[in-house]
Amino acid sequence: MKDRSILIVEDEHTLRRLLEYRLSRLYRVRTAANGLEALAAVAEERPALIVSDIIMPQMDGYALQEALQKQSDTSVIPFIFLTAKTDASSRARGRRTGVDDYITKPFDLEHLLSRIARLLERQQVYQTQLDAFTAQDFSQKLMPKRMPAVPDYHSFFFNLPREQGGGDFFDWNEAAPGTYFFTLGDVMGKGLQAKFYAFSFLAYVRGTLHTHMRTTHSPAGLMSRVNQILTQDELMGETFASLLLARWDAYLNRITVCNAGHCRPLLVGPDGSQLVADSDLVLGLSPDATFTDTTIELGPQQAFFAYTDGLIEQRLATGEMVGEHGLAEAVQHVREAPDPLEALTKDLLARSAEPEFADDVLGFWLKRVR
Amino acid sequence: MQLAAMSFVAEPVGPGVAVVRIGKALNFSNAAEFKACCQQQQAERGVHSFILDFTDTGVLDSTGLGTIFSIYRQVTPQAGQVVFASVSRPVQVVVQLTRTYKVFRQFATVEEAQEALG
Repeated sequence: MKDRSILIVEDEHTLRRLLEYRLSRLYRVRTAANGLEALAAVAEERPALIVSDIIMPQMDGYALQEALQKQSDTSVIPFIFLTAKTDASSRARGRRTGVDDYITKPFDLEHLLSRIARLLERQQVYQTQLDAFTAQDFSQKLMPKRMPAVPDYHSFFFNLPREQGGGDFFDWNEAAPGTYFFTLGDVMGKGLQAKFYAFSFLAYVRGTLHTHMRTTHSPAGLMSRVNQILTQDELMGETFASLLLARWDAYLNRITVCNAGHCRPLLVGPDGSQLVADSDLVLGLSPDATFTDTTIELGPQQAFFAYTDGLIEQRLATGEMVGEHGLAEAVQHVREAPDPLEALTKDLLARSAEPEFADDVLGFWLKRVR
Repeated sequence: MQLAAMSFVAEPVGPGVAVVRIGKALNFSNAAEFKACCQQQQAERGVHSFILDFTDTGVLDSTGLGTIFSIYRQVTPQAGQVVFASVSRPVQVVVQLTRTYKVFRQFATVEEAQEALG
């Protein structure tokens, strides 16, 4: 709770100090001696909650509360009046829009602490729900609604976003008849911020692909362009991402992959699983980074499997993480399943320490049937 | 004198150089504190190079790594460096996966890193 900031507005020095002393055990506390000082403190940093006296020199509590109500960003700050005014008309005046509680002096400190905790908890729950809703909305927008349909191929996609997950994303487009580009990546960070950055980043990637595919179909060439944008654009200066860019030439049964710091995909077949496309440097770190293409041929019954780190970082009941090699082994057991990704996630969860994945989980499985 | 920003401790070891002991984890829950610690060093002590001590570090997630990248991008215009020392196995896995060993030099011990940056 120490990260929550409380503003105490009280002209009486001893009481102000007492409240500051007691509340600072639980919260970051700032104080003001009247409404004017309080407005300055709010302008400097918006507190999570305000406890204010009513009768004060220069600007009283009513005027302070009215001023806060006039601005949309400050009108939502939980507000408690703590006052000696106990008469009915003052109480009625104090219970106005935007005032969450009215506590009269002398007061029980434990009661005040309990009301503060309750109001902050309610605010936190509301914020968490809003974040979850927004994060879910972003997650859905970062994923495709359908997959390419090509004769002799089956493709599967699985995405399980977590509220506190990261910025996983996946996209595909058909550059020319039978030629598809897949982008699969993870913007570094967690929670809503990462999802927002992932959303912005995907827009950059889409724009870059659209613009530069006229001049090159090399994933490495396109990756260099994306990296240049990330390292040169100040707006994206705090954005780092791992990205797998793959061109699938469906009629040639060929996939060309460029990997910028992402988990290595797997080539899964009857003869076993092998890791493909060693990665180059993660995006956004160095303008001098170089990227390489790796081309693989997809034989009959072979599948190309790309994923994000939520799968390999899942903690098993043994205490070990799944890891690249653990995943390579696990996919062998599910490669013939009607939906291999559904079977894979079930298998990993059954062997996990927790009943859910700890991070976002995303996978793309492309199998050549004949 | 050591400067601490919440759970991280940065120890100046030479002109413009500080060691930051990462501890058990650098992840989404403490990455902001780590960044604040490094930025405090930069602002108050003119530190431009950081030795990150990963002894006993069990967790380095993508948020933590992203924060290291962010510090790296801040210090490189000042000819600063970010180097890794005493890299634990879990951290080594992340470094290999993201190929960031191409950017961050690694040293077996903090002392070796100090000599190299000294």
